Amino acid sequence: MKIVDNLLKLFVILFIAFVYLPAFLIILLSFEQSSSIALPITGFTLDWYIKKPIGYETPAFVSLLYDSRLWVAVENSLRTSLVVAATTALVVTASALALRHRVKGRDVLFYALLLGFIFPGVMLGLGSTFFYSTVGLQYSFWSVVLINVVYIVPFGLVLMMARFDPDLMEYEKAASLLKASPTAVFRQITFPLIKWEIISATIFGFLLSWGELIRTQFMLKGTGTLSIFLYTQLSNYTLTPKWYAAGTLISAMSFSALAVLAFILSRGPRS
Amino acid sequence: MKLGEAISRYSNYLLLLPGLFASILGAIVPLAILVSISFFEYEFPSIIPEFTLENYLSYIFSEKTGTILLNTFGLSIMTCFVCLLVAYPIAYTLVFKIKSSRVKTYITSLLMVPFLIDWSIRTVAWISVLGENGLINYFLTSTGIVSAPLKLLFSPAALVTIWLQTYTLFMLFPIYLAMGRIDVEYVRAAQVLKAPPYRVQYDIVFKLSRPGILTGFIFVFVSTLGDYVTPSLWAGGIQTLGLSIASYAGNYLWTKAAAMSTIMLVITLMSLFLLIKVGQIKKLVYEK
Repeated sequence: MKIVDNLLKLFVILFIAFVYLPAFLIILLSFEQSSSIALPITGFTLDWYIKKPIGYETPAFVSLLYDSRLWVAVENSLRTSLVVAATTALVVTASALALRHRVKGRDVLFYALLLGFIFPGVMLGLGSTFFYSTVGLQYSFWSVVLINVVYIVPFGLVLMMARFDPDLMEYEKAASLLKASPTAVFRQITFPLIKWEIISATIFGFLLSWGELIRTQFMLKGTGTLSIFLYTQLSNYTLTPKWYAAGTLISAMSFSALAVLAFILSRGPRS
Repeated sequence: MKLGEAISRYSNYLLLLPGLFASILGAIVPLAILVSISFFEYEFPSIIPEFTLENYLSYIFSEKTGTILLNTFGLSIMTCFVCLLVAYPIAYTLVFKIKSSRVKTYITSLLMVPFLIDWSIRTVAWISVLGENGLINYFLTSTGIVSAPLKLLFSPAALVTIWLQTYTLFMLFPIYLAMGRIDVEYVRAAQVLKAPPYRVQYDIVFKLSRPGILTGFIFVFVSTLGDYVTPSLWAGGIQTLGLSIASYAGNYLWTKAAAMSTIMLVITLMSLFLLIKVGQIKKLVYEK
């Protein structure tokens, strides 16, 4: 049995390596000297990150620092993801708190909240385009936020409900029996016990909306969010290490958010 | 006090309002519009609200339809099975073989990485793994195993590989939750009663994690069904349902795109029914 256990652990490690392989190559090739992304690499350079352009390059050859449209996209993405994360966290917390109880019709309500994830992305994107053009809100910031929130709430809800402290409801009941007001119960019992879950739902929401492409793509025109910008640039221009440099930068940002999330999750009561 | 009483009595429903509001506005209404448009006539550039079945008939009697549906289902179901084969042992190891909860959390967090690299960058990164000058071909040619680089990209196998990296987490997470809910006492009892290991594995661990497996199956299935970006880049010209919807929409053939989406919706609703009836996803999060 010992051999089987070790083989299983080896399999987990191998799978993690498989998942990381593309990320590792992105980082490595972003420092490539030539403009091709072939292995082996010919030499190290930071040109793709910071080189000052002459002014005649196509976007694929302008370094990250001087690609102004890229930074517009980063700003768009940041704004969208922050609003989406905050909204998702509020919706998820409220819904999860309600669905703990045996409310009438709980199953139907729970499934209704999962719809944004269950319906395939291309369908929701297309349907929302029709909807927003009918009501005259096409290509608006809030349409992007809504389609992201609907997609991300199911993840947050399942994550949060699966991690709730099993005794939370008992504590709340005890406090109510002792004549604590509903606000006091929430402020002194519920919130302190679920605050880490709320924070991790916020970070998770931020990460998911930061990378969302399929749904958002239908909702925006112009530069769009970072993932849309990169998708259009990559479909129109040659593949150079510049895009890998962009990938490295984005991954570094989201990886730090993930590290915070892992730290939070590992100190929670039920990890 | 009447209002106050009503609020406290229905407080749980009030708490659910924002979520339901988002679901209705963000998922149900758009889909209802999509379905109704699929029965409308279309004359460039406007949709005419006259009932027609033309959008469906032209699709059903098209020669390509069979191939497209077969490709779509084949690729998605294959991805589901591959994800299951990979996710099941990982979930099992995490739940039963790793004691430290800290290590468990770090491993699950590490596995979230595919989400964190930008979608397009993540897919183009596979060029440097599977491409003609990529890692695998570099390894194969420099060690002399093959003389000329193999064509690995732009094939169904490449698509499944990339989907495996992207969506395994959707399979892993529900199985992990389901297995985590298995009472270890059952396993011990079976061992004490001298059950052979394969019976413990099959009758206890596998059977009790079935809700998780089915949920994961459906999560991966609908995700791959709705993903047209990855097939458009890496499937080597194979048409899928999602890709056809996107290309019809891209060519402003709105009603046709809507009709195909409706077909996809029917498939999704059938999966949703399975999710509720057989998979019982609620068991993963709130029911014992």
